[in-house]
Amino acid sequence: MNNQNSVAGIYSPPFRIVVKYFVATILSFIVFNLMLLIDYKSISGHHFQPKILSINHILTLGFITMIIFGAMFQLVPVVLEVKLFSAILAEIQFWIYTAGTILLAYKFYFFTSSLSFEFPAILLSLAMTIFAINISITMTRVKKWNITGTYLASALFWLLITALAGYLLSKNLDSPFIKINHLQYLKLHAITAFIGWVSMVVMGVSFKLIPMFTLSQGHKLNLAKWTFFLVNIGLLGINWIMHYPETGIYTLIFGLLIFVGIVLYLIQIFIIFKKRIRKRLDIGLKFSAFAFIVMGISALLNFSFLFFDYERIKNLTLIYGFIVLVGYISFLIIGQMYKIVPFLVWYHKYSSKVGLEKTPMLKDMFNEKLAELQFYLMISGLVVLIPSLLMELQIFIFIAFVLFSLSSLIFGFNMIKIFRS
Amino acid sequence: MSNREITKGDILDTLKSVVDPEIGINIVDLGLIYNISITEDSIIVEMTLTTPGCPMHESIIGWVKRILELSYPGKRAIVNLVWEPTWTPEKMSDDARKKLRI
Repeated sequence: MNNQNSVAGIYSPPFRIVVKYFVATILSFIVFNLMLLIDYKSISGHHFQPKILSINHILTLGFITMIIFGAMFQLVPVVLEVKLFSAILAEIQFWIYTAGTILLAYKFYFFTSSLSFEFPAILLSLAMTIFAINISITMTRVKKWNITGTYLASALFWLLITALAGYLLSKNLDSPFIKINHLQYLKLHAITAFIGWVSMVVMGVSFKLIPMFTLSQGHKLNLAKWTFFLVNIGLLGINWIMHYPETGIYTLIFGLLIFVGIVLYLIQIFIIFKKRIRKRLDIGLKFSAFAFIVMGISALLNFSFLFFDYERIKNLTLIYGFIVLVGYISFLIIGQMYKIVPFLVWYHKYSSKVGLEKTPMLKDMFNEKLAELQFYLMISGLVVLIPSLLMELQIFIFIAFVLFSLSSLIFGFNMIKIFRS
Repeated sequence: MSNREITKGDILDTLKSVVDPEIGINIVDLGLIYNISITEDSIIVEMTLTTPGCPMHESIIGWVKRILELSYPGKRAIVNLVWEPTWTPEKMSDDARKKLRI
């Protein structure tokens, strides 16, 4: 009786399914940080190394993509006012996807083990296809379309392209058949994943969530349309040109389109932040604001890579990887999780008690001081790590990973606190 | 309650128990309640939300209805959601504004 008027109540998939994705996300983040610490001696040199690839996929599949899946099951129905097509598919997908992620991380780590690369890749591609089908059918039932929906639809397309590229790469590792350089395809796989899949979701969802969390009003989303076209045309171009051994001037043209698109997006976000009513940034928004700044830095770095051979500078690819994966994407995810997880748990436990008994505030469901400490530990970790990688100071790389690991444990503690409150 | 007539003040007091858990301010101090009319068998509340389409805010309407019907048995609560005039921060109480540091 209590939720009859609530969009979240009508359209959301069952709490128990979404929670699985969230728990797997939190665990993956801790495992990622602890593995960096354990294998700190391997985090140097070329990025194409078994342990680096393994640890990287724990973050990209287990943390980043896992939370996007979980959050989209929750957000797509709410933002587009439509019921999720199938909760059962979401559950089946979870188990296939988790198995694929664990097996792929295992296979990369124990590179010479008898397991094929193709098998985990098939599981992952299957899970992603199930996700794309589930969300696509859900989207066909939407009555009121909006720009977030457009961004998410294109993200689904790029997810499938990322999966396809990943599958081809896995087959190529088992028995080489790709005629051009494996690393060029790897680059294509990474660009499509980070810009097509992750960033399209991040950008699309942010147009809805950031104004909501900051109480921002009176902004128009004109720039958002330009970003959509520029980034997607750039990505289509990159996906086409990368199939040729010589990419020439084209990489520069398409790279420029994506760069301008991201700059316009950041201006759009800046306008939204500027027009906010809630002046104080809580910890969730602090993480997010930092992430947007780093997103700009990564776009600038990426753009500059078009003009010189960055692989000549030792560890620059790794540094870039940490800036994008930790400084931009992980900061944003953690920030948004500090906003979304308390809401989900609160909604599940307390929505029916509003007005009848005292219900907690969302910010009281975790320790905000500890979350602040996590924020500064992660920043300190990045600040120590970047020069240490550049100068190959192993002891400082180790210290940076200690800071990261501590921050991930705080995150785990706070998330458990939210689930138990 | 049955001994005296329900006033708009009573209703506002009741509605103050509906607090937005994200912002930490109740819907009355947020300035979301535009109009209240009381008839023999019903209470009609005209209210708005800060941003259209927010999942949490949609839930608030359900809570308003429930709290009114529980507090005033025998009365039907009708909640009309309106978007005109648009909600602005000026509609908030001084306390609420201080809390949001406007």
